[in-house]
Amino acid sequence: MEKELNVVGTRVPMLDAALKAKGAALFTDDLVLPGMLHGRILRSPVPHARIRHIDTSRAEKLPGVKGVVTGRDIPDRRYGIVPKAKDEHALARDKVRYIGDDVAAVCAVDPETAEEALALITVEYEALPAVFDPLEAKKEGAPLIHEGVKNNTSFFIRKEFGDVERAFGECDEIFEHSFYSQAVNHAPLEPHGALAQFDPQNGELTVWSSTQIPYFLRRNLSNTLQLDESKVRIIKPKVGGGFGQKIDMFAKDFCAAWFAIHLGKPVKFIYEREEIFISTRQRHPMYITVRTGVKKDGTILAQKFQAFADGGAYNSTAPTMIALSCFFLMIPYRVPNLIYEGSHIYTNKPVGGAMRGHGIPQARFAVERQLDIIADRIGVDPAEIRIKNSIQAGAPHPAGFVINTCGFSDSVKKAAAAIGWKEKRGRLPLGRGVGLAGASFPSGVSNMSHISSGAVVQLGRDGAVNVLTGAADIGQGAETVIGQIVAEELGVPIEDIRVTAADTGITPLDPGTFGSGVTVRAGNAARLAAISAKQKLLEFVADKLEANAADLVAKDRKIFVKGSPDKGITLAEALKGYQYADLPMPIVGRGSWMAPASEPTTLFKEDGNFAPNYSFMTQAAEVDVDLETGKVKLLKMVTAHDCGRPINPMLVEGQLEGSVVGGMGQALYENVIVENGQVMNPSFLDYGFPTFLEMPEIEAIEVLTDDPIGPFGAKEAGEGTQLSPAPAIVNAVYDAIGIDFMELPITPEKILAALAEKTKENDKAQ
Amino acid sequence: MKKVIELNINGDTHDLLVSSNHTLLEVLREKLGLMGTKRGCDLGACGACTVLINGEAYLSCIMLAVDAVGKEIITIEGLAAGGDLHPLQNAFIDQGALQCGFCTPGMILTAEAILTEDEHPTEDVIKTKMAGNLCRCTGYKKIVEAVMSVNEKIGEEA
Amino acid sequence: MLQSNPAAKILAGGTDLLVNMKHRVEVPPVVVNIKMVSDLDYIRHDNGAVRIGALTPLKRIYQTPFIAEKLPALAKAASFVGSFHHQTMGTLAGNLCQQNRCKYYNQSQWWRSARPTCFKAGGEICHVVNKKETCYSSYCGDSAPALLVMNARVVLQGAGGSREILLGELYSGDGKAPLNFRKSEILTEIIIPAEAVPGVSSYTKYANRESIDFPIVGAAFWGSTEKKAYRVAFTAVDKGPARGHRIEALLDGEDLSQDIVAEASKLASKEAAPVKNSIFSPGHKRKMMGILFQSAVNEATRRSG
Repeated sequence: MEKELNVVGTRVPMLDAALKAKGAALFTDDLVLPGMLHGRILRSPVPHARIRHIDTSRAEKLPGVKGVVTGRDIPDRRYGIVPKAKDEHALARDKVRYIGDDVAAVCAVDPETAEEALALITVEYEALPAVFDPLEAKKEGAPLIHEGVKNNTSFFIRKEFGDVERAFGECDEIFEHSFYSQAVNHAPLEPHGALAQFDPQNGELTVWSSTQIPYFLRRNLSNTLQLDESKVRIIKPKVGGGFGQKIDMFAKDFCAAWFAIHLGKPVKFIYEREEIFISTRQRHPMYITVRTGVKKDGTILAQKFQAFADGGAYNSTAPTMIALSCFFLMIPYRVPNLIYEGSHIYTNKPVGGAMRGHGIPQARFAVERQLDIIADRIGVDPAEIRIKNSIQAGAPHPAGFVINTCGFSDSVKKAAAAIGWKEKRGRLPLGRGVGLAGASFPSGVSNMSHISSGAVVQLGRDGAVNVLTGAADIGQGAETVIGQIVAEELGVPIEDIRVTAADTGITPLDPGTFGSGVTVRAGNAARLAAISAKQKLLEFVADKLEANAADLVAKDRKIFVKGSPDKGITLAEALKGYQYADLPMPIVGRGSWMAPASEPTTLFKEDGNFAPNYSFMTQAAEVDVDLETGKVKLLKMVTAHDCGRPINPMLVEGQLEGSVVGGMGQALYENVIVENGQVMNPSFLDYGFPTFLEMPEIEAIEVLTDDPIGPFGAKEAGEGTQLSPAPAIVNAVYDAIGIDFMELPITPEKILAALAEKTKENDKAQ
Repeated sequence: MKKVIELNINGDTHDLLVSSNHTLLEVLREKLGLMGTKRGCDLGACGACTVLINGEAYLSCIMLAVDAVGKEIITIEGLAAGGDLHPLQNAFIDQGALQCGFCTPGMILTAEAILTEDEHPTEDVIKTKMAGNLCRCTGYKKIVEAVMSVNEKIGEEA
Repeated sequence: MLQSNPAAKILAGGTDLLVNMKHRVEVPPVVVNIKMVSDLDYIRHDNGAVRIGALTPLKRIYQTPFIAEKLPALAKAASFVGSFHHQTMGTLAGNLCQQNRCKYYNQSQWWRSARPTCFKAGGEICHVVNKKETCYSSYCGDSAPALLVMNARVVLQGAGGSREILLGELYSGDGKAPLNFRKSEILTEIIIPAEAVPGVSSYTKYANRESIDFPIVGAAFWGSTEKKAYRVAFTAVDKGPARGHRIEALLDGEDLSQDIVAEASKLASKEAAPVKNSIFSPGHKRKMMGILFQSAVNEATRRSG
């Protein structure tokens, strides 16, 4: 399996690391254009109401205000990230559906004036009854949040594989548990923002936006503004984290564009931190019930899964999220008979959207928790039960997933060994414990209408390589990984590579950064583009050397016959010769890549393979529970991780380490607390995600499987690793204090209450 | 109420027309175009706006510009000497201690303040003093390693 | 200036006032920047007493060896305030005089527009108890309990002259106007009496995270094993820092055995009645009061060897 790779597989610093370390990397709010105006959004202070009247006259008169707009002024065009789930207007038209809903926008000479103007807008609301609990919202008679959406359930998915009822009949033991997973905010450090500029002479709109999805944003803006897509250019500046929250068009994008068009000046909207907590996106809270049937030895025979997702006031990625949540119950364990039902339910609360794992962390928590409970009750070791049920690469899969590489069992063994499983599980003193959890994640989703990526590689006269890719780097290092792939293919060092990315006016199409598909999809496209450019050069050199192009390799800035490095020429000489032969310069290669899938397909209709490949991992945690205060300290988290082959081990570690701390936050520290539809902790102070001092010891173990579909064997890294930290921690808490927690987060209060309850029960028993 | 103040930033003096309620962060970004200092929360709870005031780490979003008069202000742009990067910058780059880069200027300046104040702080001291700088991408591990690596080298070179 | 502007607010480090101004809960017509007053940053010894200038940064407090060794409760409290940056910018007096807090109060102007303006912010009703003309905010400073248990005094200076009071007398117990300043007064000095220095002390803080956060509960303990006199105070559980009088009464004159400390800790939850003004429940706070008290005692007595 070992390959001789020069750039792929090395710990290359990010291509823009120096820019970032110098403070010279330009994020959306760092961009300034002459005459730039500033905008702010007026948001609803009520959870559910009809808009009777909006009076903007006082705001318009405030000196410095250049424009005010409401939902009535804009085209009646809905938008949404998933075409069939479009249910939002850029500014509310007749109704507001949650506290924080976008109602009006002001554009002024500076942000302070814009904010002052917001307070001068009078909105007459007619309050409507509101509903905050999805289980209440889906009942008959609950207030209707969207016209025509019965039981406030905007999406429902139900699928069955195998014969579940019969299989339950064959089980030795059946377990059923209910779980709850809370609302979590992505909290990227960089606020959402957009800067728009319109050229009336050519009718072209340019928007710089802190986004993960430049091309989808272009489509949505084109649609809602009623401009041709060819007249809308989206440029992605540096993005300071997204984690899924910057998937979607937001009011700031639309309003910046709107004012730029109508006022003829550049317009910038930047969200305040509070707006990000309330009015962007969050991870869907979910109520989940799982019924699992096993044989005595722990083999899973049947599973029934039911999830109610609290969608908040709008859909965002609803159908995709709920489908993913359900479909990926089928990895990493073999579940031969499965029914799942998932509902996405509206409530008058902040909107759920894609968040690192996208519906799967919640399901994973439930399944991994239950698996531990099952293992405990039937007397099988929790690590063993996972290995026993692991899917195998190449084996037929109940739902038709094509799994070429699977390092799952290996990852369980390695994670367990590294945490000291045998010595510790069930053997540590009260308050200390170890737990583990497994996960798997798709590298992008094939089976979701048309998802493909394009790339262009230009090889210049001087040997400098320009890569054009639509890939949206949001800090994970996509551009660097793509650069490494191209460098490897062309046989040049990374220093020779320049990447231009995510500018819809220049770069080829790419769906964007979500579903962890960038390395595989955009990476493969870039690789094909590099091969295409290389091929032209190789054919030229082959001719010169009187060799076969197929026998030539490009390496170390040379082109030579395989096995005979002295029988070749330098890249510089080859390029010079190419140019002097009057062949077109630069040498341009094109590539595009789409995951192999049946077409046309949607997640809802077809079975079959859902991703080009799948990552696998196991995380093992060691915790210390303070029995007096209830505080849980995560001491150590081990991740044994199969991402095929890491293109850049340092960046993969970065993803892993970040997702461990993120998962820890989800398990122990974070919760969007809502009271009657109002977020009570919309600040970095009150929504306390982990600091340096909460950091555990983090160990990463690589499980190399070298996938045939991924570029240089790569699979996704960074989303899968956020699926299993939470259950691993909660499983470790069980080992530490013998209490099964069925919801997230596990706060000190809950731990103390459970300990007190346990003591009471023990006392009663005696 | 506007007035003219003189600020010393990265070794240069600037005469600036400011309002008395302008924060130092606003003045750096809007008046001087020094965009390296970031606005993550505007309430002093994330550290992205960290600058050095007489060598100490301050949150520029909750500091009035007028309070910076007469002080030596260093922003991330002023850390490198000429064309060379500061050892902390190099460590962050080489060791992958940054991902999206938004928290990075604040991290580096706080680390600089810590290493200036303390001869050889322990890892625990570094973590404690950097805990006011939030990061959502890295999980902090590589940042600690990068700062420790510079910490260990201090005093080693001639 | 303060005299002619009774509604003026004092700016020291700015870490409290400026945040509240951005939220528009404090909207003073005038802000008086007292950092311009020189010589309020000092730590002096005066016949065994310790005099600390009002504008001494918190960082300096715990980095001063004498305070770290002899007055550990104060050093610890100062080192627990916010984050390192807050300790650099923030001052001891600023920490003592911080505004009270409440989940309905410490929010932006837009956020608060979902409800009628609360009493503390200038309206009529308290949303914590749904009653008029009353305020159920809590005092959440870390250094106050530590100084209270040392019987610290403060010097207040204004146009009318100078006066010296016990720190405890500074706190009114009124959530809306938590500090007993007279017109034009500022706090200029904190005095730790000589008799506090030979004692043992500690401060423990319980918060969501180990940095940045305000306490969910804080507990300070001071004791003289020689005199068998003890003092206890809590923060974040009442409208002002709360002395633990019941605990003190139980311990007074006794040796600090494991048993008596355990018994005393049961009284802790009676020393204040925390309310639902925070995202952390009153019940949890009450439980933590006893646990923190015990921790503080253990730390304080361990230190003395």
